[in-house]
Amino acid sequence: MKASRAAYDYRPSQHGFLYRLNQNKVLLLMCVPAILFFLFFSYVPMPGAYVAFTNFNYNGGIFGSPFVGLQNFEFLFTSGQLAQLLRNTVLYNLAFIILGNILQMFIAILLNEVMCKKFVKVTQSLMFLPYFISAVLVGLLVYNMINADYGFLTNLVKSMGGEMPKLYSDPNTFPIVIVIAKLWQSTGYGTVVYFAAICGIDASMMEAAKVDGANGFQRIRYITLPCLKGTVIILFLFAIGGIVKGDFGLFYNLVGTNSVLYSTTDIIETYVYRCMMNTFNFSQGSAVGLFQSVFGFALVMVANYVVKKLDPDYSLF
Amino acid sequence: MKKKILALLLAGLMAFSAAACGGDTTSSTGGSGDTASTADGGDGAGDAGDAGDAGNAAIDTSEHVVVNYLTLGDIPTNQTDAAVVELNKMLTEKVNAEIAIRWIEWTDWATQYNLAMASQSGDLDLIVTATDWLDAWPNAQKGAFLPLTEEMLQTYAPKTWEQVDALGHWEDCKLDDTIYFIPEDTYTQWINHGVMYREDWATEAGLADGVHSFEDLAVYFQWVKDNQPDCVPWDVAGSVTSGEAGFSGGWWSSYTDDINIDGFGINIFRAESADDLTTISRYLLEGDEFVNFAKTMKEWSDAGYWREDVMNYKGDTREEFYSGLSGIDQHHTETYYTTVAPEMQKRTGVDVGFFFFGEETDNLVRTVTTHGAMAIGAQSQNPERALMIYDLMRFDQEVYDIMNYGFSDNFTVDENNILTWADDYDSATEGVTFNFWAGRNDEMQHKNSTFAWEPYEALVEVYDQVAIEYPFGKFIPDKTQMPWLENLSAVANTYMPQIAFGKTDDPEALVAEFRQALKDAGYEEAIAEAERQLAEIYG
Repeated sequence: MKASRAAYDYRPSQHGFLYRLNQNKVLLLMCVPAILFFLFFSYVPMPGAYVAFTNFNYNGGIFGSPFVGLQNFEFLFTSGQLAQLLRNTVLYNLAFIILGNILQMFIAILLNEVMCKKFVKVTQSLMFLPYFISAVLVGLLVYNMINADYGFLTNLVKSMGGEMPKLYSDPNTFPIVIVIAKLWQSTGYGTVVYFAAICGIDASMMEAAKVDGANGFQRIRYITLPCLKGTVIILFLFAIGGIVKGDFGLFYNLVGTNSVLYSTTDIIETYVYRCMMNTFNFSQGSAVGLFQSVFGFALVMVANYVVKKLDPDYSLF
Repeated sequence: MKKKILALLLAGLMAFSAAACGGDTTSSTGGSGDTASTADGGDGAGDAGDAGDAGNAAIDTSEHVVVNYLTLGDIPTNQTDAAVVELNKMLTEKVNAEIAIRWIEWTDWATQYNLAMASQSGDLDLIVTATDWLDAWPNAQKGAFLPLTEEMLQTYAPKTWEQVDALGHWEDCKLDDTIYFIPEDTYTQWINHGVMYREDWATEAGLADGVHSFEDLAVYFQWVKDNQPDCVPWDVAGSVTSGEAGFSGGWWSSYTDDINIDGFGINIFRAESADDLTTISRYLLEGDEFVNFAKTMKEWSDAGYWREDVMNYKGDTREEFYSGLSGIDQHHTETYYTTVAPEMQKRTGVDVGFFFFGEETDNLVRTVTTHGAMAIGAQSQNPERALMIYDLMRFDQEVYDIMNYGFSDNFTVDENNILTWADDYDSATEGVTFNFWAGRNDEMQHKNSTFAWEPYEALVEVYDQVAIEYPFGKFIPDKTQMPWLENLSAVANTYMPQIAFGKTDDPEALVAEFRQALKDAGYEEAIAEAERQLAEIYG
């Protein structure tokens, strides 16, 4: 307890670095797994990004292969597809971020209002499950739900006298399918984060509001939601770094090689896959990954800067 | 507030870490000196050293080694494991070595194979490869294979050296005058694709002679549609690879004299004809044949010859064909007479015919000598022993039989070399699967009595009259000079499935769009470069 209290003391320290290290050793120790994880899986491999600038060969390895400058980036920019790909990728991610967060928040608040603890736990677990279902299975499930030949929903609609739209042939409506599948997969996971944040809201505020005569809706409107603001902003900042990265597994398994849908479902990852599956060029694949990371990094920096200007409390750093 | 943000940061980190997994996972494959492959077996090491045949008496095989053999295929559930044990006894006795098999399964095989090539650490010795369907040349160029010197081959695989040399086929395996793999050049096989159809149904459909053209096929499909309510005329999983989809490649062969050139990774480069090897066909860019293809496929799609959602369907067409749920299956001659026809003939009154692509125009090319080939891993710890084992695989009847036919008590071979299985033999449980496609040898083959030899021999009679040798055996495209290939791959893989499965309201407009997209992606430039490279060799 003592150690943790010290950790939240943000006043400029009168003591040296080592002293503070010693003061916070328990907290630091708890961070070690995360630090190691990022060290080994993110920072150590980072020099490997150099492969994007080489004509990779197996004997030379990453640093022994001939340097070719920006040649590996060329194909993406000369494809004439980049604008559409960026548009699709960013719009999907925005839809996932915005709709996802709203839905997660909404469900977290609902769960918070439910009194029966058992019900809450069971619901949370059930909602969490889709997160663990692989994209391959999601693709199959969706196909068997909506395919125009014998899909479950198709038959259901038919038997009720309606007509099911041919979703796999219609690029205009298929994005809805993707968004629904994604939300189905990720909502349970995200809800946990918001639920934890709600649980962290000072109970005395709620009690005070109750005493003052605020009803359930008013408490949500004036206490819960404002308290979640910080959470929303931070999750948004995290998410925005990946806004030009798509969920290849989900998209590839839902759309596959159905090129009718590409105009609205092709994201950077699936396009690159289609380019590379016949040539298997690591360097070019890495070049695209690097491009996405740099783009994402720039976005996070800008977004964080803006947030800091508006309200320094909510910025990441 | 700060406290909560900190707590959230932690939660966020945890969530973020999941996302981080998708990041860069490339790692250096530089010589790690891994010695995992030299596990010591011990048994019989003492006396086996001199047990080899006279040819390699001078070779030191005193150390028992494990040779890793990489092939493609699903991990077998039959008697293969037991056969490996048996085979290893033989190999230990003959060359004091054993093999361990590593499988690249059919799920995502193209990617997994190349990944295995890229991430070698001395863990691969014998590698099944091919210049047409596996990326032998790109992998050789990138350094995945050990260069094989004539001396090595003569010393460790003398019989193989001699056989291939006598036919002059080492030339087909050279990159910059260096041999990179051993061709499977003395095994007769026809891997030309075509359509397997039910002859009994074709007869009922009024095609007494069977299906021999795309026009016939349309008649057959319509009959299936009208008369077999549970059967989809072609219940195909319409995924796409190498820029080909549906009948796009077959139609191209059947309506032109163009010959496909392997090695570009994407099949949109064909030569004008066997007489003109340095001109690339403009079939995709100009002319009516391709437009007709698009129109016909649109008609076929509207007629319901395949599923509405064919491009997302992932069923197993062959199993469906066996059960009468698909009207045809599409694959090559080998599959036809060794697998599908024998399986279908078990059903009374059912016979299977084969319509080969190019039949209408006599456009047929023999199998390239490197359709199967064996390479040695670049970082192999035991290339010598690997070559010795290969020589046995190709020339030692005992080794050959167990790899290709299984345990000897399951079959008998008569004086006419006809192999007959024991009465209670069940290939599903008692068979063996080595998927040894890199050194089969006609001299060693037995004539498997279960295969459909009669229709096969009739087909080969036709083939022999029209087929030409694959003319581009010595051509290895220099893809580094063709920066357009990636985008062309994307264009072909985008438009070809839509055209080949008729998923458009206006096929002509779609073809026009495809042609423009090809040009925008640099198809003209790519053709010019390919022609320049061809002219260097064949000009």
